[in-house]
Amino acid sequence: MIPYGRSLKRFLIRLGLATFALLALSPVLWGVVTSLYPLSSLTSRPPDLNPANLTIENYILVFDTSRGLFSGLVNSFIIAFFTSAVGLVVGSAAAYALARLNIPGRNQILLMILATQMFPGIVIAIPLFLVMSRLDLVDTHFGLIMVYLSFILPIVIWILKGFFESVPMELERAAAVDGATPLQTFQFVVLPISLPPLFATGVFAFIESWNEFFFAIILTRINVKTAPIAIAEFSGQYTTLYGQMLASAVLASIPVVVLAIIFRRFILEGFVEGAIKA
Amino acid sequence: MGLWFTAPALLILLTVLAYPIVASFVLSFQRIRFAGEGLSHQFNGLNNYAELLSNQLFRQALFRSIYFTLVEVAAVIVLALLVALMLNHPLGRNAFYRVVLLVPWALAPVANAVLWKWIFNTNYGVLNAILMGIHIIDKPIVWLGSPWLALNMILMADIWKAVPFIALLLLAGLQNIPIHLYKAARLDGANTWQQFVHITVPGLKASIVISIVLQSIWALKVFDLIYVLTHGSPADSTVLLNYLSWRETFSNLDIGYGAAIANVLFIIMFILALIYIRALRPRQIKEK
Repeated sequence: MIPYGRSLKRFLIRLGLATFALLALSPVLWGVVTSLYPLSSLTSRPPDLNPANLTIENYILVFDTSRGLFSGLVNSFIIAFFTSAVGLVVGSAAAYALARLNIPGRNQILLMILATQMFPGIVIAIPLFLVMSRLDLVDTHFGLIMVYLSFILPIVIWILKGFFESVPMELERAAAVDGATPLQTFQFVVLPISLPPLFATGVFAFIESWNEFFFAIILTRINVKTAPIAIAEFSGQYTTLYGQMLASAVLASIPVVVLAIIFRRFILEGFVEGAIKA
Repeated sequence: MGLWFTAPALLILLTVLAYPIVASFVLSFQRIRFAGEGLSHQFNGLNNYAELLSNQLFRQALFRSIYFTLVEVAAVIVLALLVALMLNHPLGRNAFYRVVLLVPWALAPVANAVLWKWIFNTNYGVLNAILMGIHIIDKPIVWLGSPWLALNMILMADIWKAVPFIALLLLAGLQNIPIHLYKAARLDGANTWQQFVHITVPGLKASIVISIVLQSIWALKVFDLIYVLTHGSPADSTVLLNYLSWRETFSNLDIGYGAAIANVLFIIMFILALIYIRALRPRQIKEK
């Protein structure tokens, strides 16, 4: 009786896992596969999925049809790169201070940082747009990077703070005994051993700013349209160019999905745990 | 000394967040018009808020946002818990399943929206093709064409995207439950269900509360899917609060009114934020 119940349970779990993998992956795979067929194959009934018709023409055509896609990808890269780079430098310093140096109002600062995660973007978007139009910051890389930093920084600080607290104190004490200033200790002792979590938060910041849409649509006009904007515009304008539409979505997703998979260990350990541990 | 380390970060947060939050409250009490070069601000008292209460579209959007959030949170938590439990089982520890989780999560929300637009397509979409293939329906359904259905299809696409991250959170929570508790329970003769109720659920309580709060906040913010899939149509039936606020402000240029809607959303989220902070706090005390 017991072995039977056991094997039934194992069967159900395997079945559940297979269902989960199928449901999670099939929409994405379907999107990727159909992006590799010409429009005529997709719109014939039933869809003509003969492998002989596989082609990358959608990926070539889409750059012609959507003038903004290429510059969108470039803009997204610039913005995501600088957001994560500045976020790491500024955020790791703040995280270290909050973890190790006694600073006045530490708890209030931590609470404030946590609270920033709870604002609906629209609340700050309206006044930000008004101020930034007056300062001519709308439609600039700088403007968007600043806004992204404001919601990337709290996450970077939160995760790195957790990590710095777990670093053994002895190293820093030894450095202090040798006469190192806090800045030197941070720079030459703490940072070199913190590369994995720095990488993880950097990747996370990159993915988030690469994917962001809401502020991008409000704060960009022509010059710094990002990849998500280019895709959304394309799908609104050429509603029947299905293959090219999907090709643009695949192109914009490849960098972030690949990054997430490569750095999955860091993301899972560093980031996810950070969210539930205070 | 420590202050110099935090100063740059705090400066960025204060300029980009603190001023706009205050300004947003001020704006919501004003009537703002485009006058010549700039904007004319005129004190308007509580009129924007009064207009909200009497406006039918706002009430519908509020109701729909609540519906959307409740269903999304319930569905995401249940599905994510199921996934997390399976991935925590020895059979599910394969790295492959972690990769499976990360793919929908990392996908750009706009790319996700385009993907579902294609799947839901009336004439060539795979959803209709499958349902017709197995003879559940005999003619294609216009998934995004009728009010209630369109909202629920958006909901479905959003749930699909949201489950992986919450599953990761809950999985991390599961892995923090000490294994010896289960061993002790088994020695005492507890069955799987009893172990789940008396060890897993209490051990996961904080993670579940945090997941509920975070997911509610994300569900209230939903925007990209609406923008790409329906633009609020048909007949404004997929207009949720966040989208409405954006549309009033940036399309209809009624900035004061848009700000008032944004503040309603802000208050709802603020309450959720307080719950989140409370959920985190007991652990802090325990650890110290």
